[in-house]
Amino acid sequence: MLYTFMVYIALSIFGIGLIYSLSNWFRLTVGSNADGTTTGNRISAAFKGIASILNKEKLTILGKVFVQDILLQKHIKKQDRLRWIMHMLIFTAFMFLLVFHAFDKIIKTPIFNRFYLSMNLWLVLAGLMVLTGLGVALYRRYILKVSRLKTSGMDLYTILIIAAIILSGMLMEIIKLGSYDSYQTIWWLHIFLSLLALALLPFSKMFHMFTTPLSLLANAVMDENSDPANIATKQMMELDACTHCDTCSKHCSVAVAYDTLGNDNILPSERMTFLKEYVANKNISTKKLAAIQQGIYLCTNCDRCTVVCPAGINLRELWFSAREALIQKKLPVDLMLTPFSYFRGLNHQRIGQKQYDIPLATVKNTLTSGDDFSQATLDAPIVLDHGDNEFQNALGISERTESFNYCFSCENCSTVCPVVINYADSQQSLDLLPHQIIRSVALGLKDMATGSKMLWNCLTCYQCQEHCPQGVKVTDIFNKLKLISIEDHK
Amino acid sequence: MMKYTLFVGCNIPARVQQYELAARSVANRLGIELVENQEYKCCGYPMQNSDNKTFLMMAARNLALAEKEGLDMMVLCKCCFGSLKKAAHQIKQDAALQKEVNTFLAKEGLSYSGKTAIKHFLSILFHDVGIKKIKETISSPFTDLNIATHYGCHALRPSDVTQFDNPVNPSLFDDLVKVTGAKSVEWSLQLECCGAPLMGVNDKLSMDLAGKKLADCKAANADYICVGCPYCQMQFDRIQNLMLSERGQKQNNEIPSIVYPQLLGLAMGISEEALGLKMNMLDITTLESYIQTETEN
Repeated sequence: MLYTFMVYIALSIFGIGLIYSLSNWFRLTVGSNADGTTTGNRISAAFKGIASILNKEKLTILGKVFVQDILLQKHIKKQDRLRWIMHMLIFTAFMFLLVFHAFDKIIKTPIFNRFYLSMNLWLVLAGLMVLTGLGVALYRRYILKVSRLKTSGMDLYTILIIAAIILSGMLMEIIKLGSYDSYQTIWWLHIFLSLLALALLPFSKMFHMFTTPLSLLANAVMDENSDPANIATKQMMELDACTHCDTCSKHCSVAVAYDTLGNDNILPSERMTFLKEYVANKNISTKKLAAIQQGIYLCTNCDRCTVVCPAGINLRELWFSAREALIQKKLPVDLMLTPFSYFRGLNHQRIGQKQYDIPLATVKNTLTSGDDFSQATLDAPIVLDHGDNEFQNALGISERTESFNYCFSCENCSTVCPVVINYADSQQSLDLLPHQIIRSVALGLKDMATGSKMLWNCLTCYQCQEHCPQGVKVTDIFNKLKLISIEDHK
Repeated sequence: MMKYTLFVGCNIPARVQQYELAARSVANRLGIELVENQEYKCCGYPMQNSDNKTFLMMAARNLALAEKEGLDMMVLCKCCFGSLKKAAHQIKQDAALQKEVNTFLAKEGLSYSGKTAIKHFLSILFHDVGIKKIKETISSPFTDLNIATHYGCHALRPSDVTQFDNPVNPSLFDDLVKVTGAKSVEWSLQLECCGAPLMGVNDKLSMDLAGKKLADCKAANADYICVGCPYCQMQFDRIQNLMLSERGQKQNNEIPSIVYPQLLGLAMGISEEALGLKMNMLDITTLESYIQTETEN
């Protein structure tokens, strides 16, 4: 009676959780790619999408993915043999226990019924396999300390609940032979833990047993040209498919920036954790927003995370959607004025013109509002008593950037600058020309030196520096000025 | 046998795969052994304008990995090349900085002393292999083919740091083109920037600069523009393609861009698949029509 009641409670929570997760997939979005579509639209788009893959060509692809990536998990083996062994031990043995032990009332196997004793042996063996797998997981996380592998509460819960289920089960099998009373207690514990794991499954990392295969299958037949409504739904599902295995962070091209800046959001696996929370509640604090903006923009779009993801998640597209949504918030993103923007420029046709321009204008306005560059101001006599020595010293000596002192205003730098040449009204378009910036530095006029549009339109092509007869490190000085400007606007 | 550790950077594996493919095919033909290292990460180039320390550590970590292998580095991208050279230069000048870098690297069991030479692919072909040896491998030279060489800023300048070639009158790339039988045309904007560093920041300016260069090499009667950097290649291939559609320029006014090992590879008789000719956005398979047919007789 109590047992039946517990089963129904667990199944109800599981069912509600499942419906809740599924509804999130069709209700929420990571980016703005499904703006204007309703949940109904997205559900019907999903059915249409599924109908469109019911042909021989697509089904062959899906069949191949099912065998190679879902059953054999070849992609994990390719990257990390130890992790593959770990996962295969848990995966195969757990599936075995699920089918032949947990569902033994439903799935009757005549073969095992005839050899009941040997069946028990099978159970113990499977239990040992799962425990070995969990041991490897703990070894990786706590002893091997795989570089940049972060362990969250959820990771630990997953390991512990599985371990508890298996240990209680094995203990039960041993005790069963002796005292019936203590067998009862341990039986209840085993049942309780198993049902707890089942009830919490849709809310936990173990949900990936459904979502990860789905993600692998969906990404095998979808690309960025698929219906935007389906992409939005798929991206929500991908958030649930992520197991926080950290393979992406291990291979991330900019992981070193995490080491120097200490911002978790630079690591792709941690960005996923952020996004899971963010999709449910998009109102976040300014501090958190600044951190995630830096994290998600500090990306060279090298595609490595997407290539290595064992869950087959199309991280490249996920970042693209999330990045566009996150930079639309009013906070200026200084990294937008660096080569990190190249990928965005290359894909500007995929972004609406207004959506493309606004965040760029925000950061440009913030970083170039340091001084008034009107003709009247430029013509007015400069008061030199506020020369900023500290600012000049900040330009450092390691690259001889103090070389600005040697400038005699021959204007060679401005003459060879391809940006200056490109504008008929260069002074108006750029506020200051390169030689004027160098003079501002020499005069200690910090706001003037760091606030002109010229600075942020510098290509870093080094023509100016190469052609300076006085050896002034013009481009290097510009780079330093940019750093100072960013620092001042933080 | 020449042996290098290959540094491909971020853009090539994601967007300009044909460059690596062709470079490997050519290197193979020339007896250059390339060692892979999956541990390499971003060179630091995009960080230079926003965080100098991060830039240095990113670059230094790669340099340390190369040093651990005890091999010189072959760099395909000119921005990676310039960035790694710049970091090595800064570290070399500043003992305190070197110490800071090494403290950072020690966490991963790495160290950097400055032993590894950082070489661009074109430099290796010109200096380490040599024009004479390359000439011996040319089996199907081009004829009547005009190529505009684009040197790329971050290899040429600042010349005291990069030491790639003469910064105002370079010749290395032109010589490498001439050995294939093609003619290297003279054009006035040859040493100017392709505009890539401002793509995504000021797209109009970036495209204006690329457009000017393309018009200039067209005026110099070039059939193709030839580059040795993924940024320049994306600018003259994908961005030019965008410009053709967005700016309403005539399709027949285009000047396709080719990465150098594709050009050299064709002259060596390497198949177009092994050079990834079809991976370019603007059609360059027409290049094969410039190959001399009489040599086959």
